[in-house]
Amino acid sequence: MEASLDAEKQAEILRERYGKRAPARGLGDSAVVPRRLLLPSVEDPSIWAVRCKEGKEREVVFSIMRRVEERLGTKNEVPIISAFERGGPNSVMKGYIYVEAQRQNDIMIALDGVLNVYPRTKMILVEIKDMPDLLRVTKTPNLEPGAWVRLRKPAKHAGDLAQVIDVTENGLEARVRFIPRLDYGVRDEPLLSADGKRKRPGMPGPRPPQRLFSEAEARKRHPRNIHGNPQTNTWSYMGEDFENGFQVKDIKIQQLDVKDVNPTLEEVTKFASGAEDGTENLDLKALAASLKDGVTSVAYLPGDIIEVYEGEQRGVIGKATNVQGDIVTLQVTEGELKGQSIEVPNKGLRKKFRPGDHVKVIGASKYRDEVGMVVKIHNDQVTLLTDQTNNEITVFSKDLREAADIGGQGSLGQYSLLDLVQLDPTTVGCIVKVDRESMVVLDQNGDTRQVVPSQITNRLPKRRTAVAADRTGLEIRLDDVVREYGGQQRQGKIIHIHRSFVFLHSHESNENAGVFVTRASNVNTIAAKGGRINNQSSGPDLTSMNPALKRNPTGQNVQAPRTFGPDRSIGKTVTVRRGGYKGLLGIVKDATDSHCRVELHTKAKIITVPKADLAFKDQITGKVIDVNSGRGGFGSRGRGGFGGGSGEWSGGNRTPMATGGGERTPAWGSKTSSARTPAWSRDSGVSGSRTPAWGDGSRTVNPYDGSRTSYGGATSYGGATSYGGGSRTPAWSSSAKTPAHDGFGHGSKTPAYGGSDAWGSKTPAYGVSAPTPGASGNDSWGYTPGASGGSHPYDAPTPGAGLGAPTPAALSAPTPGAYSAPTPAAVSAPTPGAWQGGWGADTAPTPAVGAPTPGASGGYYGAPTPAAYGAPETPAASGPRYADED
Amino acid sequence: MSENYVAPNQQRYLRACMVCSIVMTLARFRDEGCPNCEEFLHLQGSPDQIESCTSQVFEGLISLANPGRSWVAKWQRLDGYVKGVYATKVSGQLPDDVRSAIEEEYRIQYIPRDGSVTEAD
Repeated sequence: MEASLDAEKQAEILRERYGKRAPARGLGDSAVVPRRLLLPSVEDPSIWAVRCKEGKEREVVFSIMRRVEERLGTKNEVPIISAFERGGPNSVMKGYIYVEAQRQNDIMIALDGVLNVYPRTKMILVEIKDMPDLLRVTKTPNLEPGAWVRLRKPAKHAGDLAQVIDVTENGLEARVRFIPRLDYGVRDEPLLSADGKRKRPGMPGPRPPQRLFSEAEARKRHPRNIHGNPQTNTWSYMGEDFENGFQVKDIKIQQLDVKDVNPTLEEVTKFASGAEDGTENLDLKALAASLKDGVTSVAYLPGDIIEVYEGEQRGVIGKATNVQGDIVTLQVTEGELKGQSIEVPNKGLRKKFRPGDHVKVIGASKYRDEVGMVVKIHNDQVTLLTDQTNNEITVFSKDLREAADIGGQGSLGQYSLLDLVQLDPTTVGCIVKVDRESMVVLDQNGDTRQVVPSQITNRLPKRRTAVAADRTGLEIRLDDVVREYGGQQRQGKIIHIHRSFVFLHSHESNENAGVFVTRASNVNTIAAKGGRINNQSSGPDLTSMNPALKRNPTGQNVQAPRTFGPDRSIGKTVTVRRGGYKGLLGIVKDATDSHCRVELHTKAKIITVPKADLAFKDQITGKVIDVNSGRGGFGSRGRGGFGGGSGEWSGGNRTPMATGGGERTPAWGSKTSSARTPAWSRDSGVSGSRTPAWGDGSRTVNPYDGSRTSYGGATSYGGATSYGGGSRTPAWSSSAKTPAHDGFGHGSKTPAYGGSDAWGSKTPAYGVSAPTPGASGNDSWGYTPGASGGSHPYDAPTPGAGLGAPTPAALSAPTPGAYSAPTPAAVSAPTPGAWQGGWGADTAPTPAVGAPTPGASGGYYGAPTPAAYGAPETPAASGPRYADED
Repeated sequence: MSENYVAPNQQRYLRACMVCSIVMTLARFRDEGCPNCEEFLHLQGSPDQIESCTSQVFEGLISLANPGRSWVAKWQRLDGYVKGVYATKVSGQLPDDVRSAIEEEYRIQYIPRDGSVTEAD
């Protein structure tokens, strides 16, 4: 009895003690089954990956939980077995929910109507062997006291190095210390004013520099907010704790960066020096540990010379042939093992350099990007002499790499080499040398001085349109080559123009990076970029030689825009030559000096178009760009002349044209091509549109083209530029031609004329015309269809005249348009013919041209890609004159 | 079974039990304790215990609808636990005294939920 009672009591006791443990619960099993026996099998339910909204994975999981509970016990019980997510801001599995169920359909039913999850899009079945991977978990390394971390959260200190002092037991928070960024109340004012509601977003912006805490400072500003204990050197100021000058704070681990901290030597020494009482705060072991972690990230590139300095193969030097993960395959270059290939782990390697190697610093050291020559090697520390400043710096060999380039930083802050900067209100200078913190500037007077960025007011951006006048009065722009008149006769390319000073760059001199400065009035043009003919001296001459000009005294009138009565162009049928409405026909409804309102033929719309962009279509033929409003009659006149002339250039129509030309000439004569569509005069750039070659010279034919600007002002032989600046068809030297053609004074033959704006002399231009397809660049090409090949009607020869001899050089191929140096030869030829086409009514390939209407020119010589012409003939045909002349 | 659902605005207060990895709000731990581990953790009504035996740092939520049937539960060793939301990884260390109490007194094999024990698959 007693025994049983005892037993009962025993049982009672036992039950009490152990009964609580529901044996089935959780870890009731004394033996925990090893995981390998828990691998999924075919009987287990499958897992599907379902797309969901990124960032909402957790929400979806909870929603599923809720739904399961809601429908528990009802007939709509949710059939899925479980669901999980592995999302996170950096997870590869974000955007997915993994649902465990027997059938895919179960999932569809279960997730139907749940927000942020998309069961209808394709669900991916996870293979059985991949299932355990979905749930794999890796331990985040624990933080040790003394370890280095970087702060992320207190915005002021984001990125600052901190040292862990202690970690809470649950591993969530760590007590760290770091160098404070206090401003001791200097900046308190703004905070009070507007920042009431805002969470002080501006704070991190201008952060106070890192400085150890000093209670003297603190007491000065806020004597009330500070209290502490002088003996232990711990203070509490403004709610923050400070110890030994460092700020100590409990920060959550999530708000710290634990990986890839890479504490630089300077930061760490600051910590060491922070200890005022001399105790060595620097835990060398911890430092070494964190540094070592950094070291392994050195990547060796095949081709590096490497030395093994650890392990049995210490001292072996070789060249890396292959890097695979952590193992580097080395081809031994010296010693006994020479010639053999050995594999060494990353750890025991060190890059080997020899004195005299040219290297670049690529590592994380503060000397990053310095390039220099190795002078001394000591273990893994290498001393090198920098290229830029000839300073000696010592870095670890792991931070170096063989450098092919000379390099070094070309920029300092926002300023880079060869920038034009403003030093003070009256002085500008060009940066000629960039050091680490300072730079050398050559000012406008030719003196060099060393400045720091703060001494520079601002940088002056390059104004492409800057123009100055050289000694002879010719325009000079950026990228032109000029030579000093006096002094050292240095030659250089213009890199900056400022007021009357030009900064030039020459490859010959080494001083000041080849930069020198002089006054614009002190230089002579050697070559203008794009072949701009700066040789305006011949311009005026041509004008006087221009019979057309002489012929027509009324030409002068053209200069002044006459507007007698309503604008002559009103009511005229025009075609738009440029812009979005290009190619459309219309009638001028209204006009001002510069613009016309054109009623389009096709659309019920009236557009405003600059006169320069219009081509007046005469019933007869030809289009002439009517620039001067006064020219009422010229259209007809010229046209008439050309019109017929185009066809019959050979005819004597020219004369009329001549006059027309005469008229034009005035326009043409103007070097500045003011009349011409300014664009025309543009250098090559503009010419581009012109059909480079076409524009010049040849066009002249179209006297109308006042706008030829290309001709006239044609400085732009634009196309011509290709000639290398005015070197239009060397052969052409227009001069030769002109005489022949001149009637029209095409003088603008441009090539020779180079800028002969005076189209008048077109003929010379003709030469040009032909050639320079590029030359043509002179806009005129486009226009003067009539210009038939530049030789403009006057010559009849136009045919080859311009065309024919497609600028022998120019035309060759280079789409004239392509001023790109239509290699004079390039003009292969067709152009002449081409022009013909272009010339609008030129029907008859104006002589010489014969057939080859370049076709291209058909239109407005649209870039008569010489190629277009294919028909080489003309050149021969037309070539005539010019060809010969060439 | 009370509501396991947690509204998004409350998700800030979630904590995970270090022993069984169940995820609940702080309030629920305080009111009900841990449904699986209350016997040996005594979290109910004890903020200190909660603070030391549950963690705010966890990841990989699992919504367990059918612990008995689920392979996921078996793999994660949750197959004896109640329905609810669990975490695949709970960071943090159980205090030593609690840990020894569990192992000796209650003879429960504690398996850390923070991924530190890598078992051969």
